[in-house]
Amino acid sequence: MHEIRCETPPAVDLSQVRCVRGRDVIASQYAPYTADESKMPGQGAEALFFPASEAEVAAVMKSMNAEGTKVTISGARTGLVGGAVPFGGAVMTLDRLNKPLELSHEGGEWRVRTEPSVTLTELGDWIKKKAFPGLKERGSAATLAALDAFRNDGKTWFYPPDPTEMSAFLGGTIATNASGALSYKYGATREWVRRLRVVLANGEILDVPRGRYHASPDGTFVLVHGDGSRSTIRLPSYAPPRAKKNTAGIYAAPGMDLIDLFIGSEGIFGAITECEVALAEWHGTVSVIQFLPDDEAALDFVLALREGLSADESLRPEFCEFYDGHALDLLRAKQQANPKSLDMPPIPSDAGAAIFFDVKFDPAAGPEGLDYSVLKRVVERCGSTFANSWACYERRDYARFKHFRHALPETVNATIGLRKKTYPTLHKLGTDLAVPDEHLKAIWHLYRDTLESTGLEWVAFGHIGDNHFHVNIMPRDPDDLAKGLAIYKTFAEKAVAMGGTVSAEHGIGKMKKKFLSVMFTGQQLEEMKAVKRALDPAAILNPGDILDM
Amino acid sequence: MRILVCVKQVPEVTDVQVDPEKGTLNREGVASILNPFCEYAMDLALTLKAAHGDVEIVTLTMGPPQARAALLRTLEMGADQAILVTDRKFAGADTWATALTIAEIVKKQGGGFDLILVGKHAIDGDTAQVGPEVAEILSIPQVTYAVALELDEKRKNVIVKRETEMGYEKVRMKLPGLVSVSKGANVRAVCSFEAVLAARSKPLRTLTAADIGLDAAELGLQGSPTQVVKVFPPTVKTAGERISGADPEAAAKRALAFLKENQFV
Repeated sequence: MHEIRCETPPAVDLSQVRCVRGRDVIASQYAPYTADESKMPGQGAEALFFPASEAEVAAVMKSMNAEGTKVTISGARTGLVGGAVPFGGAVMTLDRLNKPLELSHEGGEWRVRTEPSVTLTELGDWIKKKAFPGLKERGSAATLAALDAFRNDGKTWFYPPDPTEMSAFLGGTIATNASGALSYKYGATREWVRRLRVVLANGEILDVPRGRYHASPDGTFVLVHGDGSRSTIRLPSYAPPRAKKNTAGIYAAPGMDLIDLFIGSEGIFGAITECEVALAEWHGTVSVIQFLPDDEAALDFVLALREGLSADESLRPEFCEFYDGHALDLLRAKQQANPKSLDMPPIPSDAGAAIFFDVKFDPAAGPEGLDYSVLKRVVERCGSTFANSWACYERRDYARFKHFRHALPETVNATIGLRKKTYPTLHKLGTDLAVPDEHLKAIWHLYRDTLESTGLEWVAFGHIGDNHFHVNIMPRDPDDLAKGLAIYKTFAEKAVAMGGTVSAEHGIGKMKKKFLSVMFTGQQLEEMKAVKRALDPAAILNPGDILDM
Repeated sequence: MRILVCVKQVPEVTDVQVDPEKGTLNREGVASILNPFCEYAMDLALTLKAAHGDVEIVTLTMGPPQARAALLRTLEMGADQAILVTDRKFAGADTWATALTIAEIVKKQGGGFDLILVGKHAIDGDTAQVGPEVAEILSIPQVTYAVALELDEKRKNVIVKRETEMGYEKVRMKLPGLVSVSKGANVRAVCSFEAVLAARSKPLRTLTAADIGLDAAELGLQGSPTQVVKVFPPTVKTAGERISGADPEAAAKRALAFLKENQFV
């Protein structure tokens, strides 16, 4: 079915929706609502709406659409590309839509339905403790029965998408198809979304369960509006890039599910008001930071894991993260200045790179249940041993290891922060490019050889398992910055030529639009705009994000 | 040299929530961990082993069967063998019954131990009693709140750096003896994957009440003369008066005057 009927929400008078008006008041008292983690300077907003229900969201949209006022949707504002930064118009924050709504067991899996502004940390806590605030009081009989069964099933569950920023809202992570370390095994957010309710720019609502609405053979969806009129969405003709992760541009594929059009669209097609996601069963793992002689050995290790994947379970990590030699040096310097700074023992002096991965592990098993001999041989072939590693399997230590991982970008940011005092326009250059598997070594050699020859200061880390390195260039002065920007552009072009993406996880927002034209032709960008026009004819939603309408 | 490190498994306190209705701890889904102060005790044992080589570290815990996990952690850190003391008959043991049981095991271990290390307290019970009680029952000297220690040249004594409310002091203690360990300057240990795997092949024995041979009346709840009446934070001591200066006679006079002023003498 490619036709979907739009729901008309109960009418709410806009005056009932909490609102702050006036650019100056918003700038002085509500400034956080006009910025996000990108630190991109915006132009503020004239109005700030705080809807408390889906009907109120619809009332805001309907009214803004009628008067032609642009609306920037504001979630947890943890985005890195300025998606939530307004340039005038209104801001609609979904902060108040933050409740769990339902727990169900469907399609052989546990599913949680919530309002959009639940943080990933909250969601994780609820699932871990098997307690969802207020659901017992509010839930239907079916939900209560599901809660009982969930509590008593004796298993541990979790929601796999794990972008670094766990204070992100679930709705925001769906709007951006967020991914994280665990995407290596579990895929990005898209894989876990089962149903969405979306308020369109005209205030109508779409209820989109996965599996019900698919694009017609000629690549269209049809919206049937409340007044009986119809609008056709013609999907772009391009195929998604072959890289495993991608958040650049609008998702399009033959026969695609309508829900996938909204996932990763960065809110330019509608505001998500309800999300239903699936859970995965959690099993014990051991996290290992395996030190290796150099970057090349780390790449060999990743390739060996892939080759042996089907041969041995121990070669199937949950995630696979990289620290290059420069990254370890930066962390070592931090440890030398303050041995307790990383809450870890000294990084071994002979380590020239490291891979952080996670494999199945049962701490209660005897030696016979713990055969990691295949993995051990892989490590040895790459010039290291299990003795030259750090391992943990307790929750408190996972947190410690995670902190060690975060310490790297934090250190880069702090270093740039210091340099900004001398050169205020300086900023770090963080790449977010990913390529298909077969180009892992080629893209790494391109990064390394190019950057080493320029004398720029740089580190690399991130999702090596998905061929998705975060190369961070740390300019020392404006000359370095100019040099770095030019290099970034060539990296993007080469990655796209390899079948990769210009944005594997950070999205496009307002800051990375220039890279979109590296990846898509003018015709393809026009096709994206046609989708936007079909869903938001007056182009009021998230203006300036992804597309310049 | 043989070192015994007595450890305890505790709930991960950051995870524990108080049930707002019942006022009790909600332990559902709460992980169990090796008490952090026991890890610091292990750290000191390993420091001695690294410095002297011929040191055998035995770890011991008394608890339910799942307390084995805490022992595995000590084996990963570098202990050579571990003893799990577990029996339903030990259930409900207070600090006295626990100390008595541990002391009895120590007496029965062939060769004895030169040094017993314990954490200064467990983060769940917070009593800080078991270690000192073990020393008293065994009639061996003890030093509390250690942050570092070393052996003297003849390895007959340990020199312990201990923390006090005023700062640090160094004391010498004749072996065998017991040292309770506070948080030192170290970052918590991280084990290698090799150590994690190797720990599962190290000796880990289980002892039951029958192996220990104490009377049933001395074990568990039956052997526990104390009970928790109330839990409250200790009162904060005010600064008091510190007598300093190089003249002992003047200091003694001042001390005597203080005692008289406050009608202690």
